[in-house]
Amino acid sequence: MADNSTVATAPLPTALEVVGMAKSFGAVRALRDVNLSFESGKVTGLLGENGAGKSTLIRLCSGEMQPDEGQLLVDGQLISFRSPLEATQHGIVVVHQEPMLVGELNVADNLFLYQLGERPAYSRAARAENVKKARVLVAALGMSDYMPDPSVLANRLSAASRQMVDIVRALSRKPKVLFLDEPNSSLTHVESERLFQVVDRLRSEGVAVVFVSHRLAEVYEIADDIVVLRDGSFIASGSLTEISQSRAVALMAGERKSAVAREVAADRVIDAETAVGLELKGLTGDGFADVSFAVHEGEIVGMSGLVGAGRTEIAEGVIGLRTVTGGVIEVAGHPVRVADPGAAQRHGISFVAEERRTEVFHAQSVGYNLTVRVLSRLGHLGWVSARRVNARSGELSKRFAIKAASVDAPITSLSGGNQQKVVLARALATNPKVLILDEPTRGVDVGTKAEIYAMLRDLAHIQGLAVLFISSELEEVIELADRIVVVRGGRVVRDAPNNEGPRPIVAAAMGVTEGYG
Amino acid sequence: MTTTKMHPPTNTPKNTRIRSRSLWSSVLPLLKRQEVGLLGVILLLGLAVSLANSRFLTSGNLFNLLQTVVVVGIIAVGQTFVLIAKEIDLSVGSVLALAGVSGGAMYANGVNPWISMGFGIGVGAFCGLLVGSVVVFGKVNSFIVTLGMLSIARGATQLVTGGLPQEMPKELQFIGQGRIAGGLPISVLIFIVFVIIGQMVLTRTVFGLRVTAVGDNAQAARTGGIPVARTRILTFVLIGTLAGVAGMIFSTQVGVAEAQAGTGYELDVIAAAVIGGASLSGGRGSIIGAFLGACLLGLLRNSFILLALSPFLQQLSIGLVIVLAALFDQWRQGNIGRFRFRLRLRSRRPA
Repeated sequence: MADNSTVATAPLPTALEVVGMAKSFGAVRALRDVNLSFESGKVTGLLGENGAGKSTLIRLCSGEMQPDEGQLLVDGQLISFRSPLEATQHGIVVVHQEPMLVGELNVADNLFLYQLGERPAYSRAARAENVKKARVLVAALGMSDYMPDPSVLANRLSAASRQMVDIVRALSRKPKVLFLDEPNSSLTHVESERLFQVVDRLRSEGVAVVFVSHRLAEVYEIADDIVVLRDGSFIASGSLTEISQSRAVALMAGERKSAVAREVAADRVIDAETAVGLELKGLTGDGFADVSFAVHEGEIVGMSGLVGAGRTEIAEGVIGLRTVTGGVIEVAGHPVRVADPGAAQRHGISFVAEERRTEVFHAQSVGYNLTVRVLSRLGHLGWVSARRVNARSGELSKRFAIKAASVDAPITSLSGGNQQKVVLARALATNPKVLILDEPTRGVDVGTKAEIYAMLRDLAHIQGLAVLFISSELEEVIELADRIVVVRGGRVVRDAPNNEGPRPIVAAAMGVTEGYG
Repeated sequence: MTTTKMHPPTNTPKNTRIRSRSLWSSVLPLLKRQEVGLLGVILLLGLAVSLANSRFLTSGNLFNLLQTVVVVGIIAVGQTFVLIAKEIDLSVGSVLALAGVSGGAMYANGVNPWISMGFGIGVGAFCGLLVGSVVVFGKVNSFIVTLGMLSIARGATQLVTGGLPQEMPKELQFIGQGRIAGGLPISVLIFIVFVIIGQMVLTRTVFGLRVTAVGDNAQAARTGGIPVARTRILTFVLIGTLAGVAGMIFSTQVGVAEAQAGTGYELDVIAAAVIGGASLSGGRGSIIGAFLGACLLGLLRNSFILLALSPFLQQLSIGLVIVLAALFDQWRQGNIGRFRFRLRLRSRRPA
């Protein structure tokens, strides 16, 4: 980057500088020692996978969070923000992925929301005045054609219109540094084009724009510079020519585990002879379309893709939590009708949902949590035998090495990792043929993670279950899966054995098709 | 299958100290149970009243006391299920009256008294089915639906009777007024049977355990294959049925079914369930607790009469008991020691 400390009249002064920024959430280091500078009149594309630290960086720069270490320099001045409002006053503005609008107020009031407290009264006349001011503002920004009328309630707007309102609101604050966090994920092509024209104009007006998007082609269309983050660390920065698209993909993915992956894949022989545990044929529903793939008995299939690509939706469709409008689900070669999760369980499909915290029954005991899905099997005529519940939960907690004082102990007395094991054991209590897991190790420590991996390998490779898991951690997918299915935009875009390392997976998830390497 | 690693028996004499400690540590959680705390309060209060008035501790007075809580107590059994499922039912007082007058009207039209009674209870169950269906399929908060049912059922009661009391069958009056050997009222016996069955259904049946799951974490219950909608509806049918039963007992106690029967009972019913440890945030509650809660309410009313204290003071003290019971419930869950700790920290900070 240009060294502008020696050149007093540099044409591109640094608008925002990040020095030694670090932030941890508990044991997770979201950002470590990141040094960056964003120059006025330049558009920087900020790239990285899910969890690379992009959002954390933006939150730290905009005062939504305070860093553990590190400093911010705005126009060369050392500064720390206690709130987003302070950051805005210094010209640092963020357009969020999810527009933050007050649904019961109209567009004009949303645009001037931050001035609300500055007025003694908020009369009808003032509101009408706001609408007029909003029309003038929108016209001045040249956004009239793409903005809803300022008198419309925010609740009535489409996702794209809401996004446009958020963008106009950001522009109205006269930003020096503008962060666009996936601003066009809900915009159509025409609307995106319009947004890019606005970004072009901001660039010529000397605003530093930081653009985050998972659509690589678009980033390369608009950006001057590229910055790549991975696992919370700064990896590389440079101009578009210095970092090509394929190189960016390689930098984002890193050189991880490909050797190990090949080894793991080699010890499993899945061929045409192996019986199929779960097969989806053209499954279509709310959030996914024409999904076809198979999970063989004894096979672990990892489902990869970006957050919002439709992975969870597919899993929910399979277990009957989400409406399926077309296609066939087959278990062990037989088509099954899955109307609700109870039916899925009877057909031998068991599901472990994403969040441990939302999955346990907080006010109940360990034993209750272990057996709640199989109550009707532990007694007869609707009665449940306490003796059999105790025996079953004791057996399950021993088999899954759950560390609890007793099965009568409250579930909340267990550590997070052990609660996660209870959630897993509960799903296996039904003796399923197919096990589907959504982010099975989110928020557990390294030791428990290894235990859960060993457990899943044992279930598939030794006991012959068909295991399908969703994970946003590429490392986890590559370590654990025998085969990897990549989902993008609700469709399967890649289905291949896990022996080519991370790059083709990242490329498929991001929608990059040209050669990588 | 399982590994057969044997551990040497640990019950050697030198372990006695450890064992006595573990005895204490197994007693302490028992003392922290809402039911035990309640029983203690009831016994203490009973002792105090019996010292002040010797008539308190006679079987006649105690049976009378129990008889006054039967109607509220039976519905509180159902309300505990509803609260555990993270719902609430405000309509029970009106449903009780509607069930009573429906049964009475059937009898007045020449129907067999037992079938009339069954019809009345069925009307209660039907009200519960309606409420449950609207809550589940219409996705309306049960507070609102049952607030509506409170008014609907009372209005329907007035329509059926034209405001006049309905005479109850003579053959059935033993239910409300009869006594078995030793002077135990039959209605109290019915109440106790319902409490025992209720506690067993809650803790030992698929239905009861599913109610707990639905109230504790509806989302996890759904992904776990538990029929959430059916369980919720059945819970309302249960409380409707019990309100119907309570309506029959109430009417046979008085001898007539009146249109204004049970007015305001919903609050006593909820109070009894909450004093007994039911949580309005779902997932927790006890039928035995609700029984004791109803008894405590009855005991307070009884003792204020025996001690000839002001009825205003009675109302005030019942309100206090409800709040204290809820506070005790929070304390035993460990939700309030931390607050005190934080306050102390703040005051220690140098100025």
